[in-house]
Amino acid sequence: MALLSVRDLRVQFATPDGIVDAVSGVSFDLKEGETLAIVGESGSGKSVTNLAYMGLLPKTRTTITGSVVLKTEDGEVDLIGMSVEDLRKIRGKDVAMIFQDPMSALHPYYSIGDQLIEAHQAHNEVAKEVSRDRAIELLALVGVANPDERLKAYPHQFSGGMRQRVMIAMALMNNPKVLIADEPTTALDVTVQAQILKLLRDIQAKFKMAVILITHDLGVVAGAADRVNVMYGGRLVESASVNDLYENPLMPYTVGLLDSIPRMDQGHGKRLRAIPGQPPSLIQLGSGCAFAARCSRKSELPNGKCETSPELKAVSAGHLVRCHLYDSKESVK
Amino acid sequence: MSGLLAYISRRLGVMILILLAVSFTVYLIFSFLPYDPASLTCGKNCADPEIIAANRIRLGYDKPFYEQYWVFLVGLFAGRTYGEGQAEIFCAAPSFGYSFQQNSCVTDLVGNAIPVTISLAIGSLILWLVMGVGLGVVAAKFRGKIWDTLSTAFVLVGTSLPTFLTGLILIVFFVIKAPWSPFPPGGYTAPDVDIVGWFLSLVLPWITLAFAYAAIYTRFVRSQILEISTEDYIRTARAKGLSEGVVLGKHTMRAALAPIVTMAGLDFAGLLGGAILTEAIFNLPGMGRLSLNAVVDIDLPIIVATTILAATIVVVMNAILDIVYAFIDPRVRV
Amino acid sequence: MLKGKKSLKVAVATLSAAVLAGGLLTGCAPANTGGTLTYLTNSEGWTHADPNRNYTGLHIAWFGSYMHRTLTAYDRKAGAEGSTVVPDLATDTGRASNGNKTWEFTLRDGVTFEDGSAITCEDVKYGVSRTFATDIITDGPTYAIGMLDGTDNYKGPYNTDADNDVASYDKAVTCSEDNKTITFNLRRAVGDFNYTVTYLSFSPVPKAKDTGDGYDLKPVSSGPYKIQSYSKTDSMVLVRNDKWNKSSDPLRAERAFPDKIVVKFGQAEEVRDQLLIADKDKYAVSLDALLPTNQSTVFDADGNPKPEFEGRAINVLDPYVRYAAVNVSKLNCLPIRQAIYYAKDFKGLITLAGGQAFNGDPADGVIKPLMGLDYAKTGYASDDPNWKQEGNVAKAQELMAQAKMDCPELHARVTDPKRGIVYDIADSETNKKASAIWVESLAKAGIVIKFNFIEPGSYYAVVLDPSKQGDLSAAGWGPDWANASTVIPELFTEGAGFPLSQNWNDPAYAEFKKRSDANLAEPDRVKQGKEWAALNKYVMDQMWVIPGTFSKTQEIWGSGIGGAFFWEPQGALSFGDLYLKK
Repeated sequence: MALLSVRDLRVQFATPDGIVDAVSGVSFDLKEGETLAIVGESGSGKSVTNLAYMGLLPKTRTTITGSVVLKTEDGEVDLIGMSVEDLRKIRGKDVAMIFQDPMSALHPYYSIGDQLIEAHQAHNEVAKEVSRDRAIELLALVGVANPDERLKAYPHQFSGGMRQRVMIAMALMNNPKVLIADEPTTALDVTVQAQILKLLRDIQAKFKMAVILITHDLGVVAGAADRVNVMYGGRLVESASVNDLYENPLMPYTVGLLDSIPRMDQGHGKRLRAIPGQPPSLIQLGSGCAFAARCSRKSELPNGKCETSPELKAVSAGHLVRCHLYDSKESVK
Repeated sequence: MSGLLAYISRRLGVMILILLAVSFTVYLIFSFLPYDPASLTCGKNCADPEIIAANRIRLGYDKPFYEQYWVFLVGLFAGRTYGEGQAEIFCAAPSFGYSFQQNSCVTDLVGNAIPVTISLAIGSLILWLVMGVGLGVVAAKFRGKIWDTLSTAFVLVGTSLPTFLTGLILIVFFVIKAPWSPFPPGGYTAPDVDIVGWFLSLVLPWITLAFAYAAIYTRFVRSQILEISTEDYIRTARAKGLSEGVVLGKHTMRAALAPIVTMAGLDFAGLLGGAILTEAIFNLPGMGRLSLNAVVDIDLPIIVATTILAATIVVVMNAILDIVYAFIDPRVRV
Repeated sequence: MLKGKKSLKVAVATLSAAVLAGGLLTGCAPANTGGTLTYLTNSEGWTHADPNRNYTGLHIAWFGSYMHRTLTAYDRKAGAEGSTVVPDLATDTGRASNGNKTWEFTLRDGVTFEDGSAITCEDVKYGVSRTFATDIITDGPTYAIGMLDGTDNYKGPYNTDADNDVASYDKAVTCSEDNKTITFNLRRAVGDFNYTVTYLSFSPVPKAKDTGDGYDLKPVSSGPYKIQSYSKTDSMVLVRNDKWNKSSDPLRAERAFPDKIVVKFGQAEEVRDQLLIADKDKYAVSLDALLPTNQSTVFDADGNPKPEFEGRAINVLDPYVRYAAVNVSKLNCLPIRQAIYYAKDFKGLITLAGGQAFNGDPADGVIKPLMGLDYAKTGYASDDPNWKQEGNVAKAQELMAQAKMDCPELHARVTDPKRGIVYDIADSETNKKASAIWVESLAKAGIVIKFNFIEPGSYYAVVLDPSKQGDLSAAGWGPDWANASTVIPELFTEGAGFPLSQNWNDPAYAEFKKRSDANLAEPDRVKQGKEWAALNKYVMDQMWVIPGTFSKTQEIWGSGIGGAFFWEPQGALSFGDLYLKK
């Protein structure tokens, strides 16, 4: 049984322009100790999916359906439809999160000590000193020198990379089972990115956590993840093990994403290719294939095929794809 | 520490320069207004050009502008003597001049008016902060709900009802038509004379003034909170599993503190220049009424003094806010 | 020896006063005496409390009733009788000699300041001398400067310059050896100088207590009350002056009723009116006129107090006459001036202002009926068969036709749509509306009128400058005292106080000037009054002003106040007669 089991998750936002189908029926499992990468362009629903079941989307004008079952010490619980208070107790304890921009994600007016201790105190009825010791321990663990001293420092007194280390330390305060890292390296320098990714790998091993790594950059996924979910237009369009995906990307969109990664082994001669076109509007998506407008292999399909929506199907063991090009294979639904 | 001292003394130096510039500008403006100060010194007799001419010389209005300004500056530091013989009057430093219409040294008049205005400003500041922040928080927390609608109605009434009318309504219903009322219909009692009387004389003015400001602050606090709520660090706070109360009461409000303090500081400074309408309706002899009457009577020494003072308060308040900011925002503390 | 005699006299006088007071105490006095009388006013303190700086009727009535005594004063009676001059500090109403150029007054025995020291001739002389210090003793009437003989180089008691001609003043005002009789030597004949000295600027001031401008905050009393406290931003409190000698003051002796008098300054106008309308403090009196917006609450449509306000509100003529001054040097054509008078829509203008009941009756001249001795109907306005409230277009057209023949040049300008006549008026919303009524009504007679709206604060400064004055100027004038000597000559004599009419080139001026000058020196007050009335008609015959209204004012006081009546010469309530009903 998976640690986290997402089934037919749908998220709708009511906006003045109409209903936005931000996530339209996403299902996936996260196993214990596994690192699952969720990849997609902005607006693909990769962040919203996770924020939704964590209860971090604005409550007004948002509709969330489906189920997200998490295995906890107290048994299995469905995060969707859980009371606000119960979900709060899971946030930061069973499931912790780190975010893209560590500058804006840390409160500028509180010292990082305050913020770390607060994270621990929220879930543990212990003396402040205990939380403080825990904070020092974790800061040391994530590689902050002089953690004792640095507790008093404010976020603006840290470099970007250091701030992200602090965020990671904060996420680890309560030994979470799942760590959701939402674009953890996007705002950082390339050299720092590698350090943070390495840190994430190290702590994952140490804490035996499952990690959901949300990113738009397939490049960071290569050495970091076990599985990859590719999202497009609020739907899962391909899901495979990392090796499978890199060696045999099926969906033209995945191929496009891979092509847009600068790769050391391809020399300097080849220009990076971006996927032509814009991500789809999520208002009234219609019944056709959401990727049709940008699909480079549309011509291979019979006329009118793209006006119908493809189903997610397994083309081999553990490799799922939502694409008319692979219609002959059987659906896994 | 010496760095801080240097900073403060530099700030003070700049402040004095600003004030000199302000006083000079104010003096300049009033010297070029189309009023002949000499013709304001003889009332009904000013139809007689001879009397006007004699007064102009005797009161020094015949001197060039810069000379008058210099005399003013000297008076500021050394005091100034008016009149001669038995009618001699000395206004001790810092002398802002003498008002022949009020028969007093301007510094004394200002000295009497300031405690009244401070009493009015502090009380209403407290009241409007409590009301404005409270309602703003409630409105933001229950955004789109009945409480939000009610607070919007309050904002609408508070911002559109003129202070004068609010005051009059309070006086009519809580004084004139209320035999049980402990409140006087107006006037000011000094706290050292009668502390209870002081309080009672200020309750209605505080409410009147706070009402208008509270409406503005409700709207401001509500929008600040809603804006801060979308910040990443508020999402982080939620992600940590903090309760909504802590997220709002601690993380959101801490961030809203800086803009609220800035606004309150500047509004408070503005009020110290005088709350003209509230002071008028409640007959409080504060800076507002002093300034208003000086303008109506074209009492130049008072106008110059109150203008300079109002500017000084704003300049000083800005300096104070800079220091307070260092406490609020660690990023300013370098 | 002399001193002893005087003391004895004082003692006798005091005794008789005590007897008199005792009689009163057992009589009607207890019903009216005692308590605290409160005045409410929007003013920020008194404009002036220094007697030499008081000018307006309200201030003279108030301070004259309670604190500042003068050589002579108006009798405190309702109706025309109030305009009679009676002795106050002096033993009689003055003795004129030298063809009205020398006036002599003798002080009563027992008159004192609030510290008990006797008021002497020197004190009066010193008080009058302060008028000359025009840079410090501002705002007061300057009759002394204009009337005292040979004082051209006198600059008042404070001036220490060598060229301050103190000797000339000592010659102009002299004291008798016993320091009780004061003599004024005037540069011209003044028949009503004993009216002039009713001004508080002829009050005694003790030199030792004078602090120049500062005296305005703590003037010394010579009357039944003295200042206990005074703050311009808060209140003035008067208490009984225990050194006041009742027997020396028959005018006030039996009238100083309240024990304490409080004036609360700075009351918001609306609050002040609401407090009085609600009778919140039944012993309160408004020092100000009722706001126009509250007129209909207190009075009915005819301008009479509604039943619930009966006996505590009045709607009376104020001291002012409102008119359009004609710049005769520009409008030098009688038929045109008369055409304007007939064409004007009085009814439209008074309706706009709030109706005749509250704003006044059509004026038939520049002297108000309040001035009993000097007023007689002129035959204009309501008494003129050709005059109509809504304007008489036919009569105006007839006069314009005549003007076309008599003065074709001016007629051409007045009827030219591009030129027309210019009316100076203060810039206000009401005046803008009024201008439309003027334009419309005069247009019917073929007269083109244009308006020059002037910033209210600088209105008189502009129109009193002959180079800036238009053809007509809105104006209002009240007499300085109850004698048209402060109206007729002031308005129509070259170089006088309020010369908006610029009528000195008019053929009719020579005769006017001769009669007016002669009448100023006329010692017989009744005869003088008749001549002022005749000159009022003369002025109207020349149409040197387009008459407007005898304006009105509305006053209100609490239900516990008794003794109130309108004191005509001062145009104010008889403050000194108010008492608290038991």
